[in-house]
Amino acid sequence: AKHLTMSPPKMPDLSTSTKHKYVKLGYQYLVNNFLTLLLIPILAYTALELFRMGPEEILNHLNSLNFNLLHILCSSFLIIFVSTVYFMSKPRTIYLVDYSCFKPPVTCRVPFATFMEHSRLNLIDSPKSVEFQMRILERSGLGEETCLPPAIHYIPPTPTMDAARSEAELVIFTAMDDLFKKTGLKPKDIDILIVNCSLFSPTPSLSAMIINKYKLRSNIKSLNLSGMGCSASLISVDVARDLLQVHPNSNAVIVSTEIITPNYYQGKERAMLLPNCLFRMGAAAILLSNRRSDRWRAKYKLCHLVRTHRGAEDKSYYCVYQQEDDESHVGINLNKDLMAIAGEALKSNITTIGPLVLPASEQLLFLTSLIGRKIFNAKWKPYIPDFKMAFEHFCIHAGGRAVIDELQKNLQLSAEHVEASRMTLHRFGNTSSSSLWYELSYIEAKGKMKRGDRVWQIAFGSGFKCNSAVWKSNRTIKTPTEGPWSDCIDRYPVFIPEVVKL
Amino acid sequence: MFAKEKTVMEENRVRLICKRTVVSTKPVEQGRLYRFSVFDHVMEPNHIRFVYYYQSSKTREPGEITKKLRESLAYTLNCYPIVTGRLVKETDGTEENRWKVKSNDAGVRMIEARATGTVEEWRRSVNREEELKLVHWEDMYHLPYYWSTFYVQVTEFESGGLAIGLSCTHLLADPVCAMMFIRTWADLTLTRNMMTPPIFHSLPPRRFSSHKLSNNQLLSHYIKYCSLTAPPLNITEDHMVTITLLFPDPMVQSGENEAGLTAFEILSGLFCVCVSRAKGKRNELTDMSLCLDVRKLLRLDQSYFGNCMVYHKVHYSKPVKAIDRLLLLSYVVQEIHNVTKGLLDYHAVMDLVEWLGSNNNNPISNGSDLVCTNLENMGNPRPMMFEEDLMLSHLSCYVEGPVAGGGQVIVLPSSSGDGPMSRVVMVSLPQREMVKVLEDELLQSFSPVLLWRLQNKKINKD
Repeated sequence: AKHLTMSPPKMPDLSTSTKHKYVKLGYQYLVNNFLTLLLIPILAYTALELFRMGPEEILNHLNSLNFNLLHILCSSFLIIFVSTVYFMSKPRTIYLVDYSCFKPPVTCRVPFATFMEHSRLNLIDSPKSVEFQMRILERSGLGEETCLPPAIHYIPPTPTMDAARSEAELVIFTAMDDLFKKTGLKPKDIDILIVNCSLFSPTPSLSAMIINKYKLRSNIKSLNLSGMGCSASLISVDVARDLLQVHPNSNAVIVSTEIITPNYYQGKERAMLLPNCLFRMGAAAILLSNRRSDRWRAKYKLCHLVRTHRGAEDKSYYCVYQQEDDESHVGINLNKDLMAIAGEALKSNITTIGPLVLPASEQLLFLTSLIGRKIFNAKWKPYIPDFKMAFEHFCIHAGGRAVIDELQKNLQLSAEHVEASRMTLHRFGNTSSSSLWYELSYIEAKGKMKRGDRVWQIAFGSGFKCNSAVWKSNRTIKTPTEGPWSDCIDRYPVFIPEVVKL
Repeated sequence: MFAKEKTVMEENRVRLICKRTVVSTKPVEQGRLYRFSVFDHVMEPNHIRFVYYYQSSKTREPGEITKKLRESLAYTLNCYPIVTGRLVKETDGTEENRWKVKSNDAGVRMIEARATGTVEEWRRSVNREEELKLVHWEDMYHLPYYWSTFYVQVTEFESGGLAIGLSCTHLLADPVCAMMFIRTWADLTLTRNMMTPPIFHSLPPRRFSSHKLSNNQLLSHYIKYCSLTAPPLNITEDHMVTITLLFPDPMVQSGENEAGLTAFEILSGLFCVCVSRAKGKRNELTDMSLCLDVRKLLRLDQSYFGNCMVYHKVHYSKPVKAIDRLLLLSYVVQEIHNVTKGLLDYHAVMDLVEWLGSNNNNPISNGSDLVCTNLENMGNPRPMMFEEDLMLSHLSCYVEGPVAGGGQVIVLPSSSGDGPMSRVVMVSLPQREMVKVLEDELLQSFSPVLLWRLQNKKINKD
């Protein structure tokens, strides 16, 4: 279990804090608009000069430059050539047209009491393991409406391959049908299909299953990513983006899901029981496009995507490890220093994405603090850039309450910024790679997504990976929205107690 | 021919598919505690089992109807937080160490099974033990907090038809509200509307000023029988068997033309007379208790959820002589009528409620009495249908525990095809007595149809 020690931030003296705020604001305004501020006096001077000179003097100056036809033609060609090279080498803009999340049927609901009862009945000889699960569940941040697939509701669970396929069909086809309805996409028009599901990889693949069901084209570029953990959704987006650079005028459908049925751990090792308590049914289907015609109806534009892999270090590699326990039950072993490793991976990712998204003021401060620590005094506190200036919304993978708490602390985010993540964890549990999309859906359902807003999606996954994506909102999303939150958004946000007494 | 049927019976015809928990679709308000009434506490050691048989005129995919029923059950449970809760014993200051229900949203257990053949074939050749395979029950666990108080079993018959089994502890429900649960579930499945949602509340207090009866037979019965401990020896020795009889028109057969008699009264009287003779009693009648629903008496709606049935012993005011059996029958029916219409009244019941609340901590036992339970009105006003084409063909009811006494006669409504005055009676008696009862000419004069075969015994009538 991860211990959370959340001490409230120290409140500085009010007058000094206000002074600090204004100084900071002034500094930010100065640095961020430096070029503009520099340009204004130059323009003013030039304009004044022009007015002073008068039109005849200007014409005289131009004539003295001795332009002839050759000069003009060469210059024009140069300009046209440079612009063409520029526009051709610019990467194509990737638009996120729309996405849909799977809403589990209410009959799959698993209240805490039922979960604990089943745990007790299935692990009848291991009361300590049951106690452990109860403690995890109490502090998990999940609610009473999360859902598990039907095969896990049996006493004892019956995770057959048939049941796993049924779950896959249910979640994936429902999400895809919804996506087709929302976007008007015809199945025959899909050019690229990428499916990511970490722990269930049958033959034929899940992407083949989709192609079979919807009768997709024979020259479709399909990909099935398995084993890549909870950050696989952003990996799929990355792959789609690269493919869409090569194929003009195309679209790509990404399906992110995690199939719970075959991976329900049936042994009694505590470190491996944790995923049972947190992982729940979910799926998302996303439509990306590089067509200019989709520019108007797309919801988001992809700005940046940064992938960081820490697998070169043994510590990171082994921290989320699937293995057999002493009784040959397969489960996923979560190491105790998972949070520390996640923090390291996040720092790595931030170092790369920071320069791409942070305004100049923050970068300068960070650079100064870095140089200062290296040259002058290593004891200087490292400056944590204020990402709230770069983004309006944050989607932190709802891996567990500890992950969200840790990131909130590290990035100094307010409760409102992490609300989407916490509420997704409460309502849907940890749906693995699709959780980012449920969180985005929450923000839209709350009516907070305005045109021009920037969203930062951060996902962690086994390996250990930290991937992040930056989207820019293309239009204001009006409520009420159609999605997994449509029937319950009015109840949110809810207060989630530290410990729910079972 | 009989030998072949016997092997068919012994084959394992019911195949368990899975066991799971069904929860309500909406989360319950956490932390509510429901208290039981005095009627509930007094019935604690018993449990009830029902089996509803449906015949279908449509062929379905295996598992299709089970899935639909499971979903509608989840919606039905939204109205039954008591049923999805779990038993806890909490010392509350005033009420020490008594059971309560904590509504924690845990759900009910559901068992799914398949059976070979059709419902008709099953009913023709099955006995009590086999039938109980269609309704799952688990005795209370060592840790009652993880023990489901209700069990639902859906068995699909491979060649057509369906059996729905419901079992529950008597602490929470009596046969009337268990049948109402099925009715609510059926209505919701068929019409997507909950027509008779349950009502939960404590028993209403006395309406008028206290009026202790000088001769409250109901109360004396309880006072005596609540202190009975071990069941009398002859029950455990002799093997109990259960059969089901269909009486096409008991009122006409009896020749009784006094207004106000019900089929239940006539049938109970009939069995009292036959069982007395089977027991070898020449000049006396067997001890008999009637199990009657007092919701109407207490001005409670039929949807009141909780125990509301009482046991009233029948007293014979005159000494009995074994003369004309029809006269004997008439006499017994009159005594029964006196109980249902006269002796069992509001004040008697309220005196009982008060006594149970203040003086009694023991459950009731019916000793070795013959217990006659009246459920004949549970088929009104409309049949319990889950789907348009599923016709309820038969209903079985079992009550197990100390209240089962020395023999049971449960009078149930009959399916509409048999006529409005027909009744189905489930009779449980020690084997020796059962044989004699079935051969009794008085019983035969009512032209009962034997719906089942008696276990291990050849019966001439069919």
